[in-house]
Amino acid sequence: GKLLVIPIDGSHWLSMLGVIQQLQQKGHEVVVIAPEASIHIKEGSFYTMRKYPVPFQNENVTAAFVELGRSVFDQDPFLLRVVKTYNKVKRDSSMLLSGCSHLLHNAEFMASLEQSHFDALLTDPFLPCGSIVAQYLSLPAVYFLNALPCSLDLEATQCPAPLSYVPKSLSSNTDRMNFLQRVKNMIIALTENFLCRVVYSPYGSLATEILQKEVTVKDLLSPASIWLMRNDFVKDYPRPIMPNMVFIGGINCLQKKALSQEFEAYVNASGEHGIVVFSLGSMVSEIPEKKAMEIAEALGRIPQTVLWRYTGTRPSNLAKNTILVKWLPQNDLLGHPKARAFITHSGSHGIYEGICNGVPMVMMPLFGDQMDNAKRMETRGAGVTLNVLEMTADDLENALKTVINNKSYKENIMRLSSLHKDRPIEPLDLAVFWVEYVMRHKGAPHLRPAAHDLTWYQYHSLDVIGFLLAIVLTVVFIVYKSCAYGCRKCFGGKGRVKKSHKSKTH
Amino acid sequence: GRLLVVPMDGSHWFTMQMIVEKLSHRGHEVVVVIPEVSWHMGKSLNFTVKLLLVLNTLEDLNYHFKFFAHNQWKTQEVGMFSLLKHSGKGFFELLFSHCRSLFKDKKLVEYLKQSSFDAVFLDPFDVCGLILAKYFSLPSVVFSGGIFCHYLDEGAQCPSPPSYVPRILSKFTDTMTFKERVWNHLSYMKERAFCPYFFKTAVEIASEVLQTPVTMRDLFSPVSIWMFRTDFVLEFPRPMMPNMVYIGGINCHQGKPLSKEFEAYVNASGEHGIVVFSLGSMVSEIPEKKAMEIAEALGRIPQTLLWRYTGTRPSNLAKNTILVKWLPQNDLLGHPKARAFITHSGSHGIYEGICNGVPMVMMPLFGDQMDNAKRMETRGAGVTLNVLEMTADDLENALKTVINNKSYKENIMRLSSLHKDRPIEPLDLAVFWVEYVMRHKGAPHLRPAAHDLTWYQYHSLDVIGFLLAIVLTVVFIVYKSCAYGCRKCFGGKGRVKKSHKSKTH
Repeated sequence: GKLLVIPIDGSHWLSMLGVIQQLQQKGHEVVVIAPEASIHIKEGSFYTMRKYPVPFQNENVTAAFVELGRSVFDQDPFLLRVVKTYNKVKRDSSMLLSGCSHLLHNAEFMASLEQSHFDALLTDPFLPCGSIVAQYLSLPAVYFLNALPCSLDLEATQCPAPLSYVPKSLSSNTDRMNFLQRVKNMIIALTENFLCRVVYSPYGSLATEILQKEVTVKDLLSPASIWLMRNDFVKDYPRPIMPNMVFIGGINCLQKKALSQEFEAYVNASGEHGIVVFSLGSMVSEIPEKKAMEIAEALGRIPQTVLWRYTGTRPSNLAKNTILVKWLPQNDLLGHPKARAFITHSGSHGIYEGICNGVPMVMMPLFGDQMDNAKRMETRGAGVTLNVLEMTADDLENALKTVINNKSYKENIMRLSSLHKDRPIEPLDLAVFWVEYVMRHKGAPHLRPAAHDLTWYQYHSLDVIGFLLAIVLTVVFIVYKSCAYGCRKCFGGKGRVKKSHKSKTH
Repeated sequence: GRLLVVPMDGSHWFTMQMIVEKLSHRGHEVVVVIPEVSWHMGKSLNFTVKLLLVLNTLEDLNYHFKFFAHNQWKTQEVGMFSLLKHSGKGFFELLFSHCRSLFKDKKLVEYLKQSSFDAVFLDPFDVCGLILAKYFSLPSVVFSGGIFCHYLDEGAQCPSPPSYVPRILSKFTDTMTFKERVWNHLSYMKERAFCPYFFKTAVEIASEVLQTPVTMRDLFSPVSIWMFRTDFVLEFPRPMMPNMVYIGGINCHQGKPLSKEFEAYVNASGEHGIVVFSLGSMVSEIPEKKAMEIAEALGRIPQTLLWRYTGTRPSNLAKNTILVKWLPQNDLLGHPKARAFITHSGSHGIYEGICNGVPMVMMPLFGDQMDNAKRMETRGAGVTLNVLEMTADDLENALKTVINNKSYKENIMRLSSLHKDRPIEPLDLAVFWVEYVMRHKGAPHLRPAAHDLTWYQYHSLDVIGFLLAIVLTVVFIVYKSCAYGCRKCFGGKGRVKKSHKSKTH
């Protein structure tokens, strides 16, 4: 069959690659479309790349990423931080929106897509550009995602998520909340829509213009046939799910390759103490000097060899046990029996590699869902979370020594690892199966809940409850009135009789 | 590993047996606890069977079930409440009583205790498996077609919005009118009100055995994995929980070649093909008048009919109808000459029909059969008849419709292809999850935190109340201070004006 893929740049794209490769090997023709200005999305041997012109340059995108990585180290007061983040999100999203708009208004490009007669569309709905294309071309869509901000994914799948035990993202709540945490969860739920509107509502208007009918963001997302969620309940808290959700967390934990000579040498030289793998992900290229020096100092205080993936300036106080590299084979290193700990920004990629290989973690979440990931691993006793802005060299040293020397961390992560890897079918195969399923059957309408066709008050049965309440009240009212009437007849009559009797006796 | 199996008699056992056999083949030590008297269980099993002495006899069991089944030919008991309250009551009381016998059998209990099992694989229909699991503190895997009452909502903490999830035995679809939604809600309330009463005996036994008062929710909530014999090709899509596994169609496998006898029947049928007719193993006798009507209708179609029926032969049986005591249902349905399937729409038969892509004429009798029939009907893959009211003409028309109207065949073929297109075979999936629970001693990471909340916490009523109180307090204070401010300003002015006026006067 023919599959159209509309990915999103960044780490999201990297985990999608495995699925595309597998699909190509199964004999499908895969076409990937992306803006001309992309960092990670490049030509590949196993798919056709088609780029469309956009009004921004590669440098703009790089700059946006770099700034995102840099801004997390800014020591600003909370409110200023919120305002800065708001402005940045607004700026970046309007840039990406303009890219989407250019694609949709590119009549020639769109026409060529239409003529290709694809069977299905695979897209990351983090930015709903692919969703608009799917509706424009009337293609069944498969979504590939981690989670959407503001619970848009729950809304679009009609998946119930009781606020009492399903923590909101970015709330740093767990699934066991006390009263005040539940209040916080509720307040976030009430306000998150407002925050999301900045990013998402422009897509609604863009879609309305392109599809020439009134659509909301929810309308754009909800027709998706299958939602491939990169989650696993080893990491995430159990919550209600829907039949068209497929959980493929750990899909990036692929077969390990042997280490290159360079890294093999480092690992062998580490001796009995083993190694610590340290990476803050591809987004962070530079850490402020003072912070970097503090980190370097802490790393120097542990007996393990530290392999630090860092592209910024080399801290002057770097100890002998710390090796700075521009890139490292993260999964292969973590899979090595000498790996003792993993210092990570707790992006979902890294977290699953840590779980998969059973390496306890020291987590320095920077932004987005990384805070939530860290919280989840911490509550399961498989890692320690540090606040990257406030931590001192001592904090990092202690955290490292704790996860390495305290046996419980290793035991917990090994337990999670064995639960995670014990599954009836590999997540990659599952993802490939469901993409093919949608291609074969032109969607999966039998997995679509009827809830989509209900209004919100119908869904919550408010009309039914109101109706039943009205009946009960009417009955109560009638009974009360007739009782009252009856009473008046009986007692009232008697009373009057008595009265008249009395008056007679007087 | 070591596995304890607590099954339920009847057709439930057929599918469970497949899983248990496979587990036994894979080298697990399996112990099955079954009552001494049963219909189908305990026959030709290649694993340890612990017989449970029970006070009743097979005649008792048959009597109670027949009483129940026969009632269905008089007036069909529709809906949860009437089913459980009337003719079914005696049957259920008998089932529940088995559990009391089990725990009175000290030797058996001691044996089970000594065996130190890794997990329990149970059918919750008679509740006893749940009690055993709790008594021995063993992780459990539940195997069920559907959970009665609101215990799925309570026991698994699985949300079921009554606005689009039809209650079990309600005969509604997932698209309901306002009136239907009102009834759906009412049956939900009825379940909440009456089910504890229905399961009273079972809960009493549980409280007795566990020596602490328990509720059905307490019995259900420790369940590690919920396994359902259903599939979203049949079932309407609805919210589920991470510890739920759907293994509908587990009995759908490649048909074996037919025996000579049946091969001959099928070959003799010519171009018109055959119609398979079975009302399941539970129906042995149909009232004579009804049987004659059925026989008449069957005589009017050109197909050859293979009717599995153990009762008296109707006198007006036509030449095209062959009465047999037993038939290889799945193999016959899998034959390309199968044109239609007349079934009581038990879940077994329905899935064989879907699997082999044969359109159905459904005569639901009791239990979830009504729901199954409704689901197939809304998908355009069959016609439902009311077995009490139908005439020979109705049956004839229904058969001609599903055979001659191409859309029925197309719809069932579409369902069939969707149903069979799956990443892993349901039997393997079932075996995997039982073994998973045995390996990991349960699946606590799949257990939602909702179990530890009270109902008002679950629905956030306390939080809503609190926030509402704050909002109201703020509004009240603002209003009061405004009012005070106004009085100060305008009230003052007013007084000034007044005094001014009074002066001018």
